[in-house]
Amino acid sequence: MSVKKTEFKRMIRRYFKIPTNVLGTLLLIIFIIIAILAPVICPPKAGADPFKIPIATWSAAPVAPTADHPFGIIGGRDIFYGVIWGTRSAFKIGLVVSLISALIGVVVGSISSYFGGWVDEIMMRITDIFMSIPFLVAAMIMTTILGKGLDKVMVALIIFGWMRVARLIRGNILQAKSEQYVLAAKALGIPDWKIIVKHILPNTIFPVLVQVSMRIGSLVITAAALSFLGVGAEPGYADWGTILSYSRNWMTELDKSWFAILYPGTAMVLFVLAWNLVGDGLRDTFDPKMK
Amino acid sequence: MTAYIIRRLLILPIILIGITLIIFSMIWMLGPDRLLASYIKSPEALKTPDAKERLIAKYGLDQPTVVQYFKWLGNILQGDFGYSNIAKKPVQEAIAERIPYTLELAMWAIIPVIVGGVWLGVLSGTHHNQPLDHGIRIFSLIGWSMPDFVFGLLILLLFYTILGWFPPGYLSYESEAVLRSGEWHRYTNMATIDSILNGNFKIFIDAFRHLIGPILTIAYLWWAYVLRITRSSMLEVLKKDYIRTARAKGLSEKVVINKHARKNALIPVVTVAGGMLVSLLAGVVIVESVFNRPGLGRFTAQAATQLDYFSILGSALVFSVILVLVNLIVDISYAFIDPRIRLS
Amino acid sequence: MNKDKRPLLEVKDLTTYFHTEDGLVKAVDGISYEVFPGETLGIVGESGCGKSVNALSIMRLLESNADVGGSISFEGQSLPELSERKMRGIRGNDIAMIFQEPMTALNPVFTVGNQIEEAIILHQNKSQDEAHKMAIDMLRKVGIPEPTKRVDEYPHELSGGMRQRAMIAMALSCNPRVLIADEPTTALDVTIQAQILELMKSLQDEYGMSIIMITHDLGVIAEVADRVVVMYAGKVVEYADAVTLFKNPKHPYTWGLLNAIPRLDIEQDTLYNIPGVVPDPLHFPEGCKFNTRCTFCEERCKKEEPELIEVEKNHYARCFFIEKVEKEKAKTKAGENL
Repeated sequence: MSVKKTEFKRMIRRYFKIPTNVLGTLLLIIFIIIAILAPVICPPKAGADPFKIPIATWSAAPVAPTADHPFGIIGGRDIFYGVIWGTRSAFKIGLVVSLISALIGVVVGSISSYFGGWVDEIMMRITDIFMSIPFLVAAMIMTTILGKGLDKVMVALIIFGWMRVARLIRGNILQAKSEQYVLAAKALGIPDWKIIVKHILPNTIFPVLVQVSMRIGSLVITAAALSFLGVGAEPGYADWGTILSYSRNWMTELDKSWFAILYPGTAMVLFVLAWNLVGDGLRDTFDPKMK
Repeated sequence: MTAYIIRRLLILPIILIGITLIIFSMIWMLGPDRLLASYIKSPEALKTPDAKERLIAKYGLDQPTVVQYFKWLGNILQGDFGYSNIAKKPVQEAIAERIPYTLELAMWAIIPVIVGGVWLGVLSGTHHNQPLDHGIRIFSLIGWSMPDFVFGLLILLLFYTILGWFPPGYLSYESEAVLRSGEWHRYTNMATIDSILNGNFKIFIDAFRHLIGPILTIAYLWWAYVLRITRSSMLEVLKKDYIRTARAKGLSEKVVINKHARKNALIPVVTVAGGMLVSLLAGVVIVESVFNRPGLGRFTAQAATQLDYFSILGSALVFSVILVLVNLIVDISYAFIDPRIRLS
Repeated sequence: MNKDKRPLLEVKDLTTYFHTEDGLVKAVDGISYEVFPGETLGIVGESGCGKSVNALSIMRLLESNADVGGSISFEGQSLPELSERKMRGIRGNDIAMIFQEPMTALNPVFTVGNQIEEAIILHQNKSQDEAHKMAIDMLRKVGIPEPTKRVDEYPHELSGGMRQRAMIAMALSCNPRVLIADEPTTALDVTIQAQILELMKSLQDEYGMSIIMITHDLGVIAEVADRVVVMYAGKVVEYADAVTLFKNPKHPYTWGLLNAIPRLDIEQDTLYNIPGVVPDPLHFPEGCKFNTRCTFCEERCKKEEPELIEVEKNHYARCFFIEKVEKEKAKTKAGENL
C-alpha cells in the first residue's frame, strides 16, 4: 500500500513540475470557482430559471460594454451573465457527456474484447459504422430530431461519442490479454472476467482518463458549435455558443458586435485549453517512457 | 497485403449498409407526422379533415418499418433522396449543385494543411524542448483549443471588417455577373479552376480572395492536429535504435532526420489521416456557415435549422459515404507505405 | 595476433556522468584501457555496469545530458575534441559499431541493401551502382545465402541470425580499424551465436581490424577475447589478458563470475550465484562499490575505495585483499578448465 502511495506522490510531483500543467490546473480551478460562485456573481431574478439569460434591453442592436453590462449586450441579453452561467453549462456538458459516453465505451470495449470472435467482429463493425458519420453532422441530425435544449444536445453527443473510448479499451485489453502476467493468472485457473476486472482494467484506466479529459474540451466546442448554428441550446440559454450565435446576425458589422465574439470566445478557448493542458499533462505523467 | 485489402473491401458494403440503417432509424424516429411535413409542399394540403391519414397512406408512412426501410433504400440507390424544402428541388440535385464548392475548399485547404502541419511537427520534434518546440507547441495548443467558428469570426473581424481584404461569400457581385453571362463556360463549377480554364485571371484572384478566410480557419485548426501527431510520432521515432545505428554510421543529423526518421514518423500520421477527415468534413459545415459559402456544409446547417429532414439526412448520407471511401483509400495507401504490411 | 607497440585506441580516465532529474548518475567513473591493432578486447560485466555507455561515449553517440570527461585517443587523435563533422567521418568508417538487437537496430522501411550502401556512398564516395555491388559482396562475405536477392529485402524478411550478419556487413562495409560490438549475440540463439562469433573472428583475420567485444557472457569472452576488461559499477575492477583472467583471477567479482558458470565436469548441488544485486547508480555504497556483495569484504572495504594496481605484469586488479581470492582458488581448484 505504501508503495502505491509513494508512486502516487511521485506522479503528482512530476505532474506539477511542468509549468503548462500547473497553468492548466490553475485555469480549471478558476473556472470551477466561477461556476460555483455563479449565483453570487450574477444572481438570477427571483423565480426565474437561472440558465435563461435575462433580457437587458428590447432593442435589437448590440450594445458595447458599459459599467452595468461589462461584456456588453447582444440580442437583448447581458453577455456577462451568459458567460458566467455559461461556465456551469460548459462543465455540465463536458463532464456528463464524457463520463457517460466513456462508461458506454468501456462496457462495449470490454465485452467486445472479452468475448472475442464473432461478438468482437460485430461490435467493432457497429463501432465503425457509428464512426463513419461525422460527429458534428450526426449531432446536428439528432438535435434536429429531438429538438432544442441542452439536455437533448447531451443525448446527441453521448449517442455518437462512445466509440473512441470503446476502441481504446478494446485495444488495451487485447494487448494486455497476451501479456505475461495475464497468461500466468490464467494458468493459475483464475476466470477471465476476474482477470479483466482485477488486473487489466486498472491498468487500462489511465489512458481512458487521459482521453476523457482531452475530450471534454472538444465536446464543449461541438456543443457550442451546435448552439452557434442554432440547433443546440434554446435561444437565450446561458451557454457560450448561444451568445456567439447572436453575432451571426451582425456578420457584416462585426466591429459593432466584437464583444459578443471576444468574451464568450475567450472563455471557451481558455476552458478548452485548461482541459487540454491537464489532459496532456496527465498523459505525460502516466506514460513512463516520456521524460 | 492483398488479404488486408480484400478484407477492407469486403467490410465496405457492411459499413455502408450500417450507415443506411442508422440514417433510416433517425428518419423513423421522426415519426409519420413530421415526415409528412417534409413530403407536402404547402400547409394547404392538410386542410381537409382526413387529409392527414390519406397522405400518410399515400406516402407509405403507415407501413411496417422494415418495408419503409427497403423502400427508402431503393429510392436512395436510384438517386432519389427526397424533396428539399429549402432548396425547392430534389435533395440529390441540391446536393450535387453544392458539392463542387465544398470540394474546391477541401482541395485548396488540404495541401497547405498537410504540408504545413508535417513541416511544423518535424521542426518541433527535432528541436525537442528548445524554445522553437515550445513556441510551436503553444501555437498548436491554442489552435487545438480554439473552436473553428470563433476563429472564423475572428478572421472575419480582422481581415474583412477591419482590413477589408478577404470578404465572406463566394464571389463578388461583378464576378458573379460574369459567371452568369454567356461568355463563361462552366467546366467544374469551381470558380478557381474554371477561371483558369476560361482564361480569366481576375476572377481567379477574386475567387481565391474569398477562399483565404475559410482556408486559414481550416488550416489553423488542422495544423494544430497534424502538428501534434507528427511531433509525438517524431519524438517516438527519434528514440528508436535504428536512429542510433544511422548516427553510428556517420550520417549527418539532417540525413538521419529527413531520411531515416521522417518516413517512419509519417506512418502513424497517415493512420490518423482518416480520423482527420472526420473533423475536416464537420469543419466544413461550420466554416461554410461562417463565411457564407454555398457548399454542402452550409446546406446541411441550413437544413438543420429549418428542419428540412430529407435535406439533412441526404447530406449526412453523402458525408458518410465520402468519409468511408476516403478512409478506405487512406487504409490502402497505408499498406503501401509500410513495407512490413505490404509484404506480409 | 599482431601486437604493435602503440595502441590503436587509448581510453584514459573516461568518465560519463548523466544529469537526471533524480540526481547525477556516474555511469562510467574513470576507466582506462587500450586496444591494439588486430586484437580483440573483451569488456565484460553485468547490465548497468557502464560497458555500453563507455562504447557510446567513444562514438559520441550519447544524448546532450551526458557529461563525458577524460581522454579518448584514436590513432593519436583526441576524439572528444574533434569537430562533429570530423567525428562523423570516423563513425562507420574508421570505427564502426554493431548493436544488440538487429531487428530494432535496422530501419524497417528501407531495404537491407539500401542501408549498407548508405555507408559506402557516404564514406567511400562510390556511385549508387558500385555501392550496390559492394553491398552484395559484403552480404556474401558475411555468409548470407542468395545475396543478390537478399540485398533488396527488408529487415523483417530476414531471420534473426541473418539480420545480425547484415548488421555486420553494414559495419564492415567501409573497412573500419575498430569494430565495437555491443552484445552482438545476446539476442540470438546459442547455435547462431557460435556462428556469428566464428564469422567475426574470420573477418577480423581477413581485415586485420580490432574488435571491442562488449558482453555479460564469459563464454563469449573465452571464445574471442585476447585481453579482457572486467567492469563493475562504472569502474574497471580487473584488466588482464584472457588466459590469465580465467586461470588466475584476482578480483572477487571476477572470481564470482567464473564460479557462477555451471560446470559439467564436477558435481554441483547448487549453482553458485553472486549474492545481492548490482547497486543503484544513484546510491553507490561507500568505499569499494562491490562491498555489498563481496564474500571477502572487510571493514576497510566499507570505508576506502581501492585503486587499480598492477598485481603482476599486465594484470591489474582493484581490491585490497586479492590474496583472499588466491586462497579460495587454491581450495576449490575452480577456474582451471577454462
